[in-house]
Amino acid sequence: MKLEFSGKRALVLGGSCKTGCVLAQRMKDNGIFPLLSYKSCAGRKRLEETFGCNPAGMDIFPLDFSRTQAALSMLEKKISTRIDYLVDFAQGDYESFVASANDDAVRSYFNDNITFRALAVKRISRAMLRQKKGKLIFISSIAAKRPNPGQGFYAAAKLASEAMYKNTGLELGAKGITTLVLRPGYIASGRGKAFLENKGHTIRKQIPTGQVLEPGQVADAVMFFLSDHAGQFNAAQITLDSGFSAGKK
Amino acid sequence: MDKNITAIMDIICEILDVENEQVQAETYVIRDLGAESIDLLELAVTLSDLFKIEISDEDIFLKSLRGYIEDAKDRKISPETLLAERYPFLCQSRIRDILADLDEGPVLKVRDLLDYVQQKTA
Repeated sequence: MKLEFSGKRALVLGGSCKTGCVLAQRMKDNGIFPLLSYKSCAGRKRLEETFGCNPAGMDIFPLDFSRTQAALSMLEKKISTRIDYLVDFAQGDYESFVASANDDAVRSYFNDNITFRALAVKRISRAMLRQKKGKLIFISSIAAKRPNPGQGFYAAAKLASEAMYKNTGLELGAKGITTLVLRPGYIASGRGKAFLENKGHTIRKQIPTGQVLEPGQVADAVMFFLSDHAGQFNAAQITLDSGFSAGKK
Repeated sequence: MDKNITAIMDIICEILDVENEQVQAETYVIRDLGAESIDLLELAVTLSDLFKIEISDEDIFLKSLRGYIEDAKDRKISPETLLAERYPFLCQSRIRDILADLDEGPVLKVRDLLDYVQQKTA
């Protein structure tokens, strides 16, 4: 089935991750103009290595959630032109046992990954409301479902963000704006790659199909949910983990 | 008629899917026209876009009105004074009308939206 898209421009937050890069290429191939945000120099470098400097057919821009006002100004500038889709990969990393977390680190982690996201979703959904159409996909994680030692703050931020996106779909669905939460399992890229190199054998044994996700598989799923064929998915949560989190263990 | 009020009334008609003759400056937006929260949100976004102003949904739709009145009672100050502070776009006579009208339901009128927009664009 050839996917069809009525939208032409997509904002991809945290677009410098490997999956974001693959998704951006899929978008370009389907006539969608991606606007990719990156947080750090490493993110910019990764984008430039993948697409070259000043690549045609896409926009690459910095967006550091910890610099709230500057990031909101940049975001408002980018959404002043029509945005049809949002795909939100952005997520900071903070691993710690809850009982041993640093107070300031907790505050800033939640500020960047929950509060800023709320401010961003507010602005983006209002921009979409003007055009009476829009689709937002939040890339969550199975960590939101399965607690894991050291991932309490990561899971808390994901769950809070999931709730925001689902609510947005409920509140604005009548005006043509829909949302979806996607929970991928282990992906063989980024922080998942290093983890899988150490524990991949054990993890694969817990996955019914025995396979972890490739970035392209996640990108393909996102493209389907962005497409016109997936119009009836709203305020929903889809798990993409080959059945890993479906069982008791 | 002021072109701003005409523009606001046109937007209300479009968003709420009501006829032009149902919308006048003195029409109650919620009580008479049945606007819901989602309609008010769309109205704020559209007005912001049209008049190129930043809109506080809380202020333009008088969302905290009853809370302010309770707050004034707790602080033993006049509700008129507090509302005039919180809603500088409303004139004294409108504030008095609002306070006299509270028991009848949501008090927001089309003219309040105009007053807010005019203050912001002044």
